[in-house]
Amino acid sequence: MITVKDLHKNFERVHALRGVDQHIEKGEKVVIIGPSGCGKSTFLRCLNLLEVPDSGDIWIDGEKITDVDCDVNKLRQKMGMVFQQFNLFPHKTIRENITLAPTLLGLMTQEEADAKATELLTRIGLLEKADSYPAQLSGGQKQRIAIVRSLAMNPEVMLFDEPTSALDPEMVGEVLEVIRELAETGMTMVIVTHEMGFAREVATRCIFMEDGKMIEEAPPKEFFENPQSPRLKDFLSKVL
Amino acid sequence: MFDNFLEQLYDNIIAQNRWQMYLEGLGATLIMTFGAAIIGIILGCLVAICKVSYAQKQRGPKRRRTFGSVMFGVLNKVCDFYLTVVRGIPMMVLVMIFIYIIFGRAPFSASMYVATLAFGVNSGAYVAEIVRAGIMAVDPGQTEAGRSLGLSEGMTMRIIVLPQAIKNILPALGNEAITLLKETSIAGYAAVVDLTYQATLIRSRTFSPVPLIVIALVYLAVVMLLTFIFNKVEKRLAKSDYR
Repeated sequence: MITVKDLHKNFERVHALRGVDQHIEKGEKVVIIGPSGCGKSTFLRCLNLLEVPDSGDIWIDGEKITDVDCDVNKLRQKMGMVFQQFNLFPHKTIRENITLAPTLLGLMTQEEADAKATELLTRIGLLEKADSYPAQLSGGQKQRIAIVRSLAMNPEVMLFDEPTSALDPEMVGEVLEVIRELAETGMTMVIVTHEMGFAREVATRCIFMEDGKMIEEAPPKEFFENPQSPRLKDFLSKVL
Repeated sequence: MFDNFLEQLYDNIIAQNRWQMYLEGLGATLIMTFGAAIIGIILGCLVAICKVSYAQKQRGPKRRRTFGSVMFGVLNKVCDFYLTVVRGIPMMVLVMIFIYIIFGRAPFSASMYVATLAFGVNSGAYVAEIVRAGIMAVDPGQTEAGRSLGLSEGMTMRIIVLPQAIKNILPALGNEAITLLKETSIAGYAAVVDLTYQATLIRSRTFSPVPLIVIALVYLAVVMLLTFIFNKVEKRLAKSDYR
């Protein structure tokens, strides 16, 4: 589903990605962990070209998205993304936040989109907030809305960029619960997170990144219980 | 200076229907202000959007160089040139260049419209920077969220960024409108008979300070009215901020 070959990305001061190769199958739930500044968010953002890699290639569903002729907007329609800072549209109601993209892009009529929004909001128990504005919601509620906003596009892949890092501790659970339920539906997911317990539970594969490289990857049980590289051992000893 | 105050008031306002001169002057001032504001806003928005989207294109995915993309680069340079030149020249000099050089052959009666155009071109440069700053002040995460949902650059700008940018832009734009109103008082140097020039004309007959006081109060009243209107609009726009 997603193939990445020798990806490099340089920012002014940091070499964020130094040759990343990766292949992600349909239905996999890949969790990427690593110290801050190791390039995990950059990698995730390269997958839907929010960040443009300096060199290397990415294929999604057999389509080479790093090609100059790739239709980036079409590509992003099938890849949902959830941000650390939620990024809900503050001037739109919750319902408008959810129905905006599908209707603007002509994928659904307003009625279809409204029905979809109602269904999604019911699923996360926030239907009564449909006509509120984002400023009236708690952080956890905002992030749950942000997740269903992406889901309204019926994506094939969901990318999560530290979805719980900006939340108060008591709100982390409700957001993880929504992601967990989504994982059970068989969605392909790539998650960058610092929640080790969650990673262990949801992931089908864990990847450890450091200094712009993927150093180690394994199924979660092996990854957490029997890490190979000294760097991962050191990292896990600090965070677990 | 203010001996026979009532007599002076009468001489400078009522005698020989001089109040009509103030009114005519105010009319010219308002026409120039509103005309220039409209020109300035249109020009400023175009320049700002051009500059912002050019900057975004530079950061976005690589695209094939087409005739269009090359022209866009040229257009961006033209915008830079406009901003540098216009902001580097005093408004009064710019107005006189418009009237005596660029439109030097235009009939005398058109000078008010030429001055309006000059004020508009000048204001456009400042509005462009106000609008650009307003757009840049919107959290980049908003653009990323829009683009990640598959919306095009134009849709994201129109539906997500600009409505939020307006809240940042409006207070500064109100300021610019007030500045513009007051700056039109230099139009007299290019022989446009605006409010200030009418006061000068009356003063040359009566040698009294009253006309200056009168027009100061008129400018003040118009500025207060503008402030009132802008405050109302700002309040309305803050709707989604309420908790």
